[in-house]
Parts: sequence; structure tokens; C-alpha cells
Amino acid sequence: MTVFALIIINKAGGLIYNRTFHEGGLNKISTNDYLVLAGTFHGVHAITTRLNPVKNAPGDRTSTPSSVPGAANIVNRPEPSSGLEVLESENFRLQCFNTMTGTKFLLFTDTTQANVDVTIRRVYEMYSDYVMKNPFYQLEMPIRCDMFDRKLLSYIREINNR
Amino acid sequence: MVIYSFYIFDRHTECIYSKSWLPPSLSEAPPNPTPDGHPRPDRRSKAARAGDDAKLIFGTVFSLRNMVRKLGGDDDAFISYRTGQYKLHYYETVSNLRFVMLTDTASPSMRNVLHQIYINLWVEYVVKNPLSPVEHKGGEGVKNELFELGLDQFIRGLM
Amino acid sequence: MGASGKTGSKEPGLRYPANGKTIFHRPLNRSKTSELSQASFAYLFSEMVSYAQKRVTGIQDLEKRLNLQGHPIGLKLLDLLLIREPVRSQARPLNIIALLHFIKGNLWTHLFGRQADRLEKSSNPETPDEYMIIDNEPLVNAYVSVPKEMSQLNCAAFVAGIVEGVCDGAAFPARVTAHTVGGKEEGEMWPGKTVFLVKFQPEVLEREALIGDRKS
Repeated sequence: MTVFALIIINKAGGLIYNRTFHEGGLNKISTNDYLVLAGTFHGVHAITTRLNPVKNAPGDRTSTPSSVPGAANIVNRPEPSSGLEVLESENFRLQCFNTMTGTKFLLFTDTTQANVDVTIRRVYEMYSDYVMKNPFYQLEMPIRCDMFDRKLLSYIREINNR
Repeated sequence: MVIYSFYIFDRHTECIYSKSWLPPSLSEAPPNPTPDGHPRPDRRSKAARAGDDAKLIFGTVFSLRNMVRKLGGDDDAFISYRTGQYKLHYYETVSNLRFVMLTDTASPSMRNVLHQIYINLWVEYVVKNPLSPVEHKGGEGVKNELFELGLDQFIRGLM
Repeated sequence: MGASGKTGSKEPGLRYPANGKTIFHRPLNRSKTSELSQASFAYLFSEMVSYAQKRVTGIQDLEKRLNLQGHPIGLKLLDLLLIREPVRSQARPLNIIALLHFIKGNLWTHLFGRQADRLEKSSNPETPDEYMIIDNEPLVNAYVSVPKEMSQLNCAAFVAGIVEGVCDGAAFPARVTAHTVGGKEEGEMWPGKTVFLVKFQPEVLEREALIGDRKS
């Protein structure tokens, strides 16, 4: 079980963090390519949200005349559709965690990795601790925090050596 | 397992076949209960919406496939992705024909199923059909009775 | 409080309850360990640093501002902590060692829930006025990553300000500064290890010597 890499994308689709933990898991690509990849993924993620085939298109369900207008809509309102959560390919698995504020955490692992949900939650926790509570971090800007790097690295190393 | 829809894209990135198995209550509005006789407002736009969806799906799988190739190497292949509501399965033949299927999130990998559709239905009823053209512009030659019937039976057998 | 405020309209001023405990004797926070949320402190401290960082000319200036933010807290805490002591030991520390122990023990426990890790006297004979309070991982720095271009900065300057306030309040005027020493000799064990260097004013040492002479 191996965690290959982590990417963090801000809510505008910009790459703000990018770290490889395991050589040979993924192809080496340039920082510029990573930037393009982050932007592409951001767009694709938005489209995958729209593609939801089970959604009730707005206005499709005409409420019965007796019901209070609006009230029926609230009851019937489906859960907001989520975008891409897991992507599988032959060589790797990509888990995406989208926070309430639109920041995306992308964790690349090998195809057999289990419990990625837990891992990615923990990474989010570290982000909120060591990035968001750091007085020197500017929102939406690239993350350069020693403490975050250190904690993240030791956590992932623990998983990769298990 | 529920299968929502199925698409085929040719090497010119055109959607040459699409079919939906969505129960009517989910895919479209129920028959208008009001007796005023107004035509349903989304009747016309439904086909357009399906066309838009096909374009969006192609854009998505195309981007993801390129991303996967870039990161996983040229021998890597994009298999599927899952959101909280549905799962999209992808299969690409050597001739650049792309099969896409949307299912519910709990379904297992449909790669074999897509492969079966390619071998047993596409090759048998479309490729081997002497009346079918080489290119399927606008879905020409794909929408023949044998292929559609075979596909529908095959999919309904899975559900 | 609310109740005493209503009934106490006849006798103005601070009312002493039967057991002699006023609101100064225990924290307003009545939870078992009287702990506060570290997250909310971290956010508050983060804003304090950002605020101090506005319009500063350099790192030393920034540290000075943080120091100034802490100073009044130290002055007040000295009073508060002493009043919470048992009546017999309610005297302010009268010599340097007692003061430093008070800081290492009472002050640190009140602020951070544990004692400081070590006390040291400068081994350099030229600086007998320097003492060191060592904290292996200062709570205020728990989530702070100082950027490379500011590597001289240690945000625990705020705590240094509190310590300075306590020293000043106890009539031991001193300059207190915070220095990062982690990752040097003791390796990666405590990357955030911080030394609070307490440099007393000459008159303090003079007085200390006089008291020592009289005792002996």
C-alpha cells in the first residue's frame, strides 16, 4: 500500500500544494504541467457535478395544487450532487476531497490502497491546523509551511511503511 | 445494480450512439396532471439536453484520460470515476472507439461489460453488417434493430 | 455574580462570600481543568501576529510589538496568580531564583497547563545577569511556521513579553527575548525548542548581592 502524491487546489482552480511521497508511482511532470492539471481537474470536477443522471431537473416536478408553493420544494430538494470523488486507472487511484469552501485535496495512491477517506481527512485536519492557523500563510496562495510539510511527511511515511 | 445510460463516441469525438435506461420518473417529468392541455415546457429541450450531456461526458472522459496518461504513463488507462451520486465507466478500443456507461455508485467495475458490448454486439451487428457504413456520422448504421435489441436485452439482463 | 449584583445594592464594592473566595480566586471557566480551546487561541494568536506585522520595519520591530502585547498580561497575571496562592505564601518573590521558579511553575502552569522544561543560569562569567527559561515546544508556536526569509523571528516573543511583565511587576526589571534553538545540538527531537533569555538590569543584581551579603 503506497501513497504516491498529494495535490491541493484552491477554490479558483489554482495549484497551491504539490508533493510526491513515492518515487516511481507516478510519472514525473513539470510544475507547469501540475498547474495545468490542477486547472483541468477543477473544470472537470465542476462538469462531473452537472452530469448527475439522477438529479431532478429544476421545475420538473410540478407540485400538487393543494401544497404550499415552496414548501414542497424544500421537502423534495435532493441532496446537492457531489463532483468526482474517486478515479480509478490501471496504475493508480485518485481520491478527491472537496471541502465546504471549495478547496480540493487530491490524493494519489496505488490501486489497492484502503481507507483513503481516513487518510485524506487527516490531511485536511493537518491543513486546517498547520496552514490555516499559521499567521504567515496568505489565503489561496501556495502553501509554504515547514510545520505542515513535516507533519504530513511523517504521517504519510508511516502509512507507506506499514 | 442500476444502469443509467450508455454512450459510444467515434474517433472523430462524435457521439454516435446514446441510450438511457432511467426510469421515467427520474429522467423526465411525469405526464402533466393539469388538464389545461399546455405542452410540457421541457419536451423540446430534452433532446438538446441529452446532446449537451453527451458533449460534456466526452469532454470529461477526454480530459481525464489525458490526465491519467500523463500521470500513469502511456500504458495506463482510465477505468472509471465515481461521485456521490453515480459512477462512470470508460472503455477505449484500439481503434479509438470509446464506450461510456453511467451506473449507480454501488456497481462493480463494468469494464468487462463494455468489452462484451464491443465484442459481442458492436463487432457482430455493426462492423459485420454489410449495410453499415465505415463512418457512423450522426449515428448512421449503429441504430439497427439487431444491435439495439441485443444491447437492451444485455443491459436489462444485468439489472 | 448576577445574584450578588442584585442583592448587593445596599453594600457597594466587592462582596466577600462566606468562604472568602472572590471571583479572583478561580477562573471564570468552571470546567474541570479550566481549559480553553487551543484552536480559538491559535486563530486569535495568528491574528495578533498579523496585526503586529502591519507597518513594522523589520523582524526586531515585530518581536518588540509582540513583546509589548504580552507585557501588560504579565503585569496583571502576577497579581492574579499571587492572590490565588494560599494566604501564607501570598508574598511576591523576593530573589531571582524564587521569581524564576514562580515563572517556571505557577505562570507556565496557569498559561500552558504544564511547567516550563528547564531553568538555566548563563554559564558565561561575563553575563551573570542572564538566565534562561527553556520550553521544548511553546504552545503559542504550535501551528506557526516561520517563513525562511524571517528565520530570525520567534513568535514566542509574545510569551517573552508576558515574562517580562511579571519580572517588571515583581520589581525585577529585565529584558526578556525569545530565541529558537531547536534542530541544533539536540537534533530533530524538539524543532520548536525556544529559550527565553532573561537579562536583569544591573540594579537587580546589585540588590541581590546586598541581600545575599546581609543573610550570610
